[in-house]
Amino acid sequence: MSALPRFFADYQQRVSAELHRIVPPGEAAVERAMAYTALAPSKQVRAVLTLLCAELCGVDSAAAVPAAAAIELVHSASLILDDLPSMDDAPLRRGRPANHREFGESIAILAAFALLNLAYGTIARRYEPPLASRLASLASDAIGPAGLTGGQALDLLATEHQITFEALERIHRGKTGALFVAAATAGALVGGAAGEPVAALAAYAKNLGLAFQIVDDLLDVEGDPAQTGKAVREDARKTTFVSFSGVAGARQLALELCQTADRALAPFGGQADRLRELSAFVASRRL
Amino acid sequence: MTNEPRDTRVDELRQQLRTLGYLDAGVDRFVLGPARRSRTPIALAGLASVRVGILAGILLGPAAAIGLDARLPGLVTGARDAAVLALYLGALFGAATTVVSLAVCLTARLLVGPSTVRARPGRARTIAVGAGALVSAASLAYLTLWWRTANTGWHAAGPTALALVLAVAISLLLGHAVRIATSGVLAAGASQGAIARGREPSWRGTMAAAALAFVAAAVLLVWTAPADAAADAAPPLTVVSTGLRVRVVAIDGVDEHVLQQLTGAGQLPAFTALLRGARAHLAAADTRDPARAWTTIATGEPPAVHGVTALETRRVAGVQGRIAGGAGTAGDLVRAATDLLRLTRPAIVRRDERRVKTLWEVAAGAGLRAAVVNWWASWPAPATGGVVLTDRAILRLERGGPLDAEIAPAALYDPLRRRWPALRAEAVARAARAFDAIADGPTAAVLKRSAELDATLAAVNAALPGPPADLDALYLPGLDIAQHALLGGSGEAALAPSALAARLDALRAYYAFLDGLLAPAFTPHEGELVVVVMEPGRVDTPGRGLLAIAGPAVVVATSVQAQAVDVAPTVVYALGVPVSRELTGHVLTSLFDPAFTQRYPERFVARYGRPSAHSEPRRGHPLDQEMLDRLKSLGYVR
Repeated sequence: MSALPRFFADYQQRVSAELHRIVPPGEAAVERAMAYTALAPSKQVRAVLTLLCAELCGVDSAAAVPAAAAIELVHSASLILDDLPSMDDAPLRRGRPANHREFGESIAILAAFALLNLAYGTIARRYEPPLASRLASLASDAIGPAGLTGGQALDLLATEHQITFEALERIHRGKTGALFVAAATAGALVGGAAGEPVAALAAYAKNLGLAFQIVDDLLDVEGDPAQTGKAVREDARKTTFVSFSGVAGARQLALELCQTADRALAPFGGQADRLRELSAFVASRRL
Repeated sequence: MTNEPRDTRVDELRQQLRTLGYLDAGVDRFVLGPARRSRTPIALAGLASVRVGILAGILLGPAAAIGLDARLPGLVTGARDAAVLALYLGALFGAATTVVSLAVCLTARLLVGPSTVRARPGRARTIAVGAGALVSAASLAYLTLWWRTANTGWHAAGPTALALVLAVAISLLLGHAVRIATSGVLAAGASQGAIARGREPSWRGTMAAAALAFVAAAVLLVWTAPADAAADAAPPLTVVSTGLRVRVVAIDGVDEHVLQQLTGAGQLPAFTALLRGARAHLAAADTRDPARAWTTIATGEPPAVHGVTALETRRVAGVQGRIAGGAGTAGDLVRAATDLLRLTRPAIVRRDERRVKTLWEVAAGAGLRAAVVNWWASWPAPATGGVVLTDRAILRLERGGPLDAEIAPAALYDPLRRRWPALRAEAVARAARAFDAIADGPTAAVLKRSAELDATLAAVNAALPGPPADLDALYLPGLDIAQHALLGGSGEAALAPSALAARLDALRAYYAFLDGLLAPAFTPHEGELVVVVMEPGRVDTPGRGLLAIAGPAVVVATSVQAQAVDVAPTVVYALGVPVSRELTGHVLTSLFDPAFTQRYPERFVARYGRPSAHSEPRRGHPLDQEMLDRLKSLGYVR
């Protein structure tokens, strides 16, 4: 399976509608830069994960749409910052020039900060204080030194250096895994879950997040820019999962991680089939 | 990057991912299965502990079956027995481990409450690791001591090292299972993500722990092993021929005082002539169980060493092999209860329950021709070890049909079977002639039945084809059977004095019968030593056993005090075979002429080794039930 599961479209539509509603439609450069990345066509895997987890925990996914949008805003901000010349200096993102190529580096940085703030604001405005507080804390952890920021910092230090497998995992955990886990946990929290179901979904997301990143590494080696929407061989200067295991080994381990993710869904039975479809997509994705 | 990695590299990465909290091991998935649903800590402890117990049952059942087989020879006779036993022990260990795991989990929960888990997850992890380590250590110590008990330490370095590796692996796995079960119980309902495990030990750490555990187990094994534990391999036996053949006649049920009276009165000429030779009074011992007493005589070792502690053993349901029955009231109660529940059935002790060699096995092992007839605990006959007519041979000759290892070598069966009708008829006629004059019908029937058996055994022994054996051993139970039937019953005390006197007279007549029957055997041929061993049998008497030796090389009219365990080494010495230093008994050299002992000084060998585990092929219908019925009818088992 390399296409998105059919049910994705409906969820993507709801998240997009919310993003269109909350991302400022102004003509100012920074507002256009925010919309340029946040509203660009994308898979919105993390946001859909939030909605699916919320549904699995017994609430209508509509209740989780603001949280899903917030997750997507955080992801968009991280992409803008990732692509900057001082970071990965990537020319393409989502099939288009990277944000800083379109709006300049300064505006891109500001847009990223604005998107992050918008995410926190959305959480604060759309949820009651106890839940809002927990979701904000969750987002903070995912963005902070143990999450995206820390992962990106390690990644920068590791560029053009040989790193250990454990260091690579820490980078992936920060840059990808943290937000996957936050997305799943946010959905579960909005669904009112606590304890074991939350732990099971977090375990699902943790394994899925690493599998997602491994497949990303694979796509960088053998992907088609027309399909992936970003330049390939961009990671040639970096140590990636493929460096350790080779192409076949990476594919095998990604598959095993997705299978492990599925096993974590055992307590939910057939109700978690959509999450299983999601992991199947991740294991075989070509885009 | 384009080169495909070797599988080992992917395996390493997979293991590293596990240590980083990704993927998961099969054991973890299995044990923590119940934790995937929201449960109370107690419910989770129960369910996870049951799974740990199942794991322990699967791992320990087969391992314990191997250990138990080593400890109780004869219990496992084939793959089916091993499988059934492993099933029983698996269930037993599974239940025990479930209880232990539950206790550990709940204790940990008492020590670390939910608030502590939330506030100090590190402490919870430490407690869980401690619980796992405790179970690992306990399991390893138990398995090591089990192996040590079953095999006396480092008897064989290869299998022992392998057993320790297995014990280490099982123990670490069980400890790991208990650790993650405890983690799950501590995390239950504590907080988000609390069930997620901490950093797992790396494979290098695991291997180091395993190596350490192996060393610890080896130290424990060596430390607790008996100092005299040595290699099991028996050195070859070199015979210095004395020129003597030895005929051993074992007579059960001989009352020393009655024998003295009758010989004193001149009524037993053959016995009288025999007792003019060398004699040894065997110290009084408990001879109420014939299998135990006569195996002691045949091996030169006490029951604790030779392993045949009772004639009646127990067969575990579904298993061909047996376990020895314990002595005492408690043992009787347990046997009765397990019999009632059909978990066990009565059975008769077998050769493969014996742990040491008999004198005929030693002689055969030294290259001498050896033959034995009707000795207790001699079935199934060994594939090598001379002529063996087991304690079931007469039953097989009587019933016919293919052999079930009753006679070795099997080629003897057809000639004996052809001669059986004539031998049997002669024995019956001889018994009738001896006891037809006795007026009391039941008493006469008892005596005739016993006499028929003894006469048959003597006739079969005499009919063995081939050249005379270097060692010929014959066991005669008739007098003991008669004595037990006439004097050993509960009604004996109620007998009128005249009736009791009549029975004693009848038994005296049996002595006379034996005297006539055995007169040819008691007369040594040229180069033959006749060794007659007599024990008081099952009837409680204050009498002692008696060893009488006639023939060349013995000191005439000498008498010494000795033990039953001295018989076997004395016979082995007379044959010119070295005596094992391991034997409890000693050679009664004072019974032999000094010139003989000077010419053939006692020679020793470190050990005889264990008896052969290989039996004659078993093709026929087993006579288990028939044997049991026969022994019941003769009063041996109830």
